Amino acid sequence: MIGTINTKKQPPFLVKLLSFLIILFFLDLSIGNLLKNFYFKQDSGLLYRSTYAMDSTRADILIFGSSTANHHYVPELFDKELHLTCYNTGRDGNSILYSYGILQGVLKRYTPQTIILDVYDHEFMKDQESYDRIASLLPYYESHPGIRPIVRLKSPFEKYKLLSKIYPYNSMLFTIAVGNADFNRDRALVNDQNGYVPLINTWKGPLILDSSHVNYELDNTKINIFRSFISDCRRSNIRLYVFLSPKFIQYEHEDTTVAIVNKIAGEYGIPFYDFTNDSFFLNRRELYFDKDHLNDEGAKIYTSMVINKIVRDR
Amino acid sequence: MPFTSILFFLFLTGTLIVYYLLSVRFRNYFLIAASAVFYIYAGAVFFLLLAAMILANFLIGLKLEQATVEKIRKGYLILGVGSNLVPLIFFKYWNFLVGNLAKLLSVVHWDFSFHYLDIVLPIGLSYYVFQFIAYLIDIYWKHEKAERDIFRFSLFIMFFPKMQVGPIERAGNFLPQLRKKIFFDQNNLVEGGKRIVWGLFKKLVVADRIAIYQSAVMSAQDQQSGITMLFASLIYTFQVYADFSGYTDIALGTARLFGFNLMENFKRPLLAKNMGEFWRRWHISLSSWVNDYVFTPLAFKRRSWGIAGVFYSLALSFAIIGIWHGSTWNYLAFGLLQAVALMYEYLTRRFRKKMAKTISPVIYNNLSIVATFLYISFCLVIFRTDTFSHAGAMLNSIVTHSGPLFYDKPSTLLFILIGCLIMMLHDVREEFKLFRSSLVTKNWIVQQVTYALLIIYILLAGVFDGGQFIYLAY
Repeated sequence: MIGTINTKKQPPFLVKLLSFLIILFFLDLSIGNLLKNFYFKQDSGLLYRSTYAMDSTRADILIFGSSTANHHYVPELFDKELHLTCYNTGRDGNSILYSYGILQGVLKRYTPQTIILDVYDHEFMKDQESYDRIASLLPYYESHPGIRPIVRLKSPFEKYKLLSKIYPYNSMLFTIAVGNADFNRDRALVNDQNGYVPLINTWKGPLILDSSHVNYELDNTKINIFRSFISDCRRSNIRLYVFLSPKFIQYEHEDTTVAIVNKIAGEYGIPFYDFTNDSFFLNRRELYFDKDHLNDEGAKIYTSMVINKIVRDR
Repeated sequence: MPFTSILFFLFLTGTLIVYYLLSVRFRNYFLIAASAVFYIYAGAVFFLLLAAMILANFLIGLKLEQATVEKIRKGYLILGVGSNLVPLIFFKYWNFLVGNLAKLLSVVHWDFSFHYLDIVLPIGLSYYVFQFIAYLIDIYWKHEKAERDIFRFSLFIMFFPKMQVGPIERAGNFLPQLRKKIFFDQNNLVEGGKRIVWGLFKKLVVADRIAIYQSAVMSAQDQQSGITMLFASLIYTFQVYADFSGYTDIALGTARLFGFNLMENFKRPLLAKNMGEFWRRWHISLSSWVNDYVFTPLAFKRRSWGIAGVFYSLALSFAIIGIWHGSTWNYLAFGLLQAVALMYEYLTRRFRKKMAKTISPVIYNNLSIVATFLYISFCLVIFRTDTFSHAGAMLNSIVTHSGPLFYDKPSTLLFILIGCLIMMLHDVREEFKLFRSSLVTKNWIVQQVTYALLIIYILLAGVFDGGQFIYLAY
């Protein structure tokens, strides 16, 4: 242990306990506020993109989803083809829970014209990981009351954990430091284009044949949030499109999540386009970064196809 | 109820408040009830098994002590040890045994379809079975007297801080503490609290942080470079140490809050200069158990064999240590590799002593620490994998796959390295008794700031979601 107790000239236990709690409280408050300040001062990078989506964007078209959203939809092309501004709010490793949180932040400020929600297979599977990753929304808990019910899904103790001012920035220390460093402000180094992060490199692996038919446990909370996402868009008269991006995987059976998305989209009259098993993409390995993600070239081709679908639907 | 969960800390706080509010004579009874709740939370069925085993061992212990005829005493001992091993073998080794038996029989074309069990290992079974066995052998050897109070005996076994990952406590250490009246002492709260904070640091900041990296690397093992696999293998040693010793620190700190001193389980093992020393510092409650109840009696019995008797006893003892961790051939191989290292050290002890005299002690000692660490890291490659072919593939990729080190983003490496550095600096300070008279140890305010900063760093760099303790499965 760091030290053993020295019994000489020590104050009573309760005084020591109180002084310890006061020291802890002030350290937490001051370091937490410092981190908050630097977190929101960033003007590039992953964390900044969430803040920009939540607090600043006023784009006509918004893209929502996980990594497949972030790396597959090129805002520049929407701008060019449709003459509408576009911002990609997709974030790696997140799910409908994160997307819904961002939507709450957006709708509080303005109403975008169109929203594209990219879903992925197994999205409605019950897993703790999706809830753990709601941590991405923690820095906005204080300033955005609308996201609090979503954050509380993470665990029943989340609101107590958030008594700490440092906790929302857990594991972000170095990312925040880099995000505020001078070299990071050099735009040449910043690799996002209105939120879209292109993936460079070409997948060398074979086409994956997925003949499994996995019956996984469904998460009704996620399904309900998907419904709420649709309802909120409808209430605000936002044109919503749901897409399932291509993968370098050939599926023999329909995924349960995809079937549910299809059914719910049908109920609400929302256009849903499924690009998995699309023969064009299954035969073009050079368009992939890995089996789950398109590279930049693939993303541009895919975005053009998405735009065509939207134009046709108008 | 993992020790790092909020639920555990709520449970601990509530239990602690009630414990000190109660009259001294009721405190142990209350701890039995709290421990029962803690255990039932993991599974009521398992609690029934535990209660039955407590009752059986309590009665056998009394009978064993009362018996005077050696044959009857031995009979009670065999009955006691056997009745403890049956549930352990059933829950932990059944599938492994019948699986291998079926393979063996298929060689001679006897195809038996054995029944495989789909059951969960009761929490702490491996720990409390070893405690029961040690208790009975101690009575048989007349080293300890049988406990006559069933409640005290129950608390000796099921005291909740040591239920999940030990230490494998001995009757001689713990039962006398349970006989004493424990009064409130602020030192217990302060020292216990400090130990818990340090354990949380090791577990959340070091072990769980490395675990995230390991998970990413191992999920795409075939695509990793040799340097990545080497780095992952080396830091796995830190991960296992931080995970297990961190959890033990929380267990020991929790026990201290209630006024009890459980036995130490780790004494800076990564600073060991040879494998013999390593096993005197690593999972001490298990290694000393095997030393006292397997190695020493066996080596004594086989003393006529000379060196062969010592090696035979070593191999068997470490085979037990290996297989205690789990039911795969890899665990057994891990244990045997430890025995081989100890045999080597025994055979080369004179040569190494001579060599030590020719080199500067600083260089020799540091090289010895590094060599021991590398050997342990190598053994842990076998420990962490399910099959020999998987272990072989991992080792092969270290030497054959070229490419850069995978680290996701620089902060991943920074968090890992800073965590390991703080943990090892603490161990070095303890090992070499550095800065003993510094301000940190003398001034209580400086101590408070130091621990507050440690908590702040846990909040900054700890991993709070997901992740299970590696040793929980044992």
